[in-house]
Amino acid sequence: MRQDDFAIDNCLKCSVCNAACPVYAAQAQYPGPKHLGPELERLRCEGIPADTAWLEYCLGCHRCDLACPHQVGVSEMIARAKAKHRKPLIRGLRDWWFARPGLLGQLTTILPSLSNLALSLAPARFLMSKLMRITPERRFPVYTRPNLRTPPIAASRNERPRVLFFPGCFIRYNKPELGRKIIDLLERNGFIAEVAETECCGVPAIANGDADMARTQARRNIKKMADQLHAGMRIVTACSSCGHMLKTGFGGSLEADEELAGVAKKIGSQTFDLAELLMAQSDAGALNTDFRSSNLRLAYHAPCHQKSQGIGRPWFHLLAQIPGVTVEDLDAGCCGMSGTYGFKQEKYGVSMAIGQQLFDRIGAVQPQLIATECATCQMQIEHGTEFKAIHPAEILLQAYDGRSL
Amino acid sequence: MNSHRFDVIVVGGGLSGLTAAGAAARDGLKVALAATGPGSFVLGSGCMEEQEFARPGDAIEMAEAIAFFREMAQAAGCPFEGGPSEARLLPTILGDFESVALAPRFLWNANPGTSGSTAIVGVKELSTFDENFMAERLNEHASRLGFNPAVRARQISLSPIFAGPITTVRIAARFDSDKGFRSELLGALRIAASGFERILVPAMLGLNSSEEELAQFEHALGCSLGELSTLPPSIAGLRLFHRFRGYLREIGVELFEGFPVVTLNIGDALCTEVVIASPGHPLILRTERVVLAAGQHTSELLGRACAGHDEQIRPLTSAGTVMAANLFDAETDSRDGPEGSGNAMQICAGYRAAIAAAATRGNYAAG
Repeated sequence: MRQDDFAIDNCLKCSVCNAACPVYAAQAQYPGPKHLGPELERLRCEGIPADTAWLEYCLGCHRCDLACPHQVGVSEMIARAKAKHRKPLIRGLRDWWFARPGLLGQLTTILPSLSNLALSLAPARFLMSKLMRITPERRFPVYTRPNLRTPPIAASRNERPRVLFFPGCFIRYNKPELGRKIIDLLERNGFIAEVAETECCGVPAIANGDADMARTQARRNIKKMADQLHAGMRIVTACSSCGHMLKTGFGGSLEADEELAGVAKKIGSQTFDLAELLMAQSDAGALNTDFRSSNLRLAYHAPCHQKSQGIGRPWFHLLAQIPGVTVEDLDAGCCGMSGTYGFKQEKYGVSMAIGQQLFDRIGAVQPQLIATECATCQMQIEHGTEFKAIHPAEILLQAYDGRSL
Repeated sequence: MNSHRFDVIVVGGGLSGLTAAGAAARDGLKVALAATGPGSFVLGSGCMEEQEFARPGDAIEMAEAIAFFREMAQAAGCPFEGGPSEARLLPTILGDFESVALAPRFLWNANPGTSGSTAIVGVKELSTFDENFMAERLNEHASRLGFNPAVRARQISLSPIFAGPITTVRIAARFDSDKGFRSELLGALRIAASGFERILVPAMLGLNSSEEELAQFEHALGCSLGELSTLPPSIAGLRLFHRFRGYLREIGVELFEGFPVVTLNIGDALCTEVVIASPGHPLILRTERVVLAAGQHTSELLGRACAGHDEQIRPLTSAGTVMAANLFDAETDSRDGPEGSGNAMQICAGYRAAIAAAATRGNYAAG
């Protein structure tokens, strides 16, 4: 939790944030979080125009916040300024779409196979690059019919604690089978999971400077989770960005509305990352440890929005409990993808330059498989290396069945 | 396996906290380090001034703490040179000299000495460092101190290999990540160094580079190389933090970074829980012992006036009883007076607290 009493005077200009910023190191022109955050904030507070296109280059990784010895909310200042920043037409249009992965998901999954085909064809990618400034270097993830539903609950299990699973856009529109695996994992550990009929958490909206959309999404999500929230159900996320968003009062997007901000705070207090929940089971001696032994050599990459939740390294510790498995925590910084950031043509180079440190580290470790819970970190790792990256929940679930991955 | 239960939790990422975490881990304890960013030592060079060792106090304890710290620094790839009785004059960022007892090797190297020719090599595009000013000031101060190092100023330009505004952080980050940049920098420095036995550059040679890497760079340069600490951001200080952080991770210390410890749960005169203000809901860590190395935040955490410490440096209440039997305070202030903030004293305080904490092993069981 950053300093709530928003005081730029807490910034001593020590530049520790700049030293922690992945973009500052990778893009020589980028002014850095200290300048875009607290320094320009002084001007913005006085109403002096201080808009700059460099605001678009902030990843929203929150590494500046975590590094700041004085807990200045650097990235939030930048995000607020980003929301007021005006973009040229094409970038603005593209980012309008990128701020709405739910809408994108709904449209593409009307006819998923046709959409996937269209998105993968070279001429389409060429056109997207020319008309939308979306890099042709990357492939869009495959879209699937959104068929993740709450499974029927056996009467014998009715007494179990219920949790509300917030799937997020990637699981809903790209990988509903991962959602089903997560529900299975929760069931094997004594929970009953209900799938929340929510929409996008709002991270892409904030990242793309669309504060209004983030607010709208937050309001709708609050409404859709209201009953379960009042029943005191825990909300479980498996995507680190969704988790970050739910735990931080939707990134502070509801601050103007006291009542909603209060509900958002309650959501935060009831939200748990899947691994956090399972680790709490483990700490209470209640984790299902019926794992088959495996000699898998894993590497774990902690997504930035995992770190920004301040929950330690629960996936690392969970994976290490599978007998015979070795897990190396890569600790090699940001992957550089940051959701839609890496898809943007003008940012593709920066995105890959940031990821290089992680790619090099993976190359040195030579794991058989990489575990990371963020879908776009997975994409970036698979794009920048020859290695496969999957959600750690899949690995844990496979370990129960003793199937190899 | 319990991910949130520890033998010792150290609060604070300054030199005292890092030392305490290292010392507790050396004793085989399961250690967590909770820190919101690095301690303020990263604003400086990490050097230890001679005068810190001249203070009254327990010299044996200090020697033990420093010996441990040096072992840890060596293992972390950032060894310190010197010793309490081997002080040498090193340049400060203002171009005068201070008597330093211990310093990271390449800062220790930055002694212009009395023999041999020294060049201070600045970077044209680096606005925060002026080699001419530095050379002039050093020569003047040296002559007042009775020696003549005849320091010259030289300059390189990085604009051909570096687009955009140049800062020490950017140079250091490129130094770490880009081998091509490193060899181009080497080439430029080699030309500037020609005819000199020693060159001193602003500290910029990597945010995370090990002593071994710097030694290779020096070897390739063909003359002695020293780094001068600069205005913050101080690469020398940040590099120390990054090396220590990496080392502690390697030896199994669990790091909780970015969010402040807000509460110590004390009951029955034992501190069994440390509460971190993570977003959404607090992160609660359970522990057998706590080492407080949170500098100015320690008093907030204790929540009431600390009326001194007992012989095991546990904070006392005004009634003279310990606040918690397993709570150790790695602070220098109360014992060493208001000036007790030097690096050596911080290290000593951290070490002392860790040793006191380790000595209570097995006495308490976390709830």
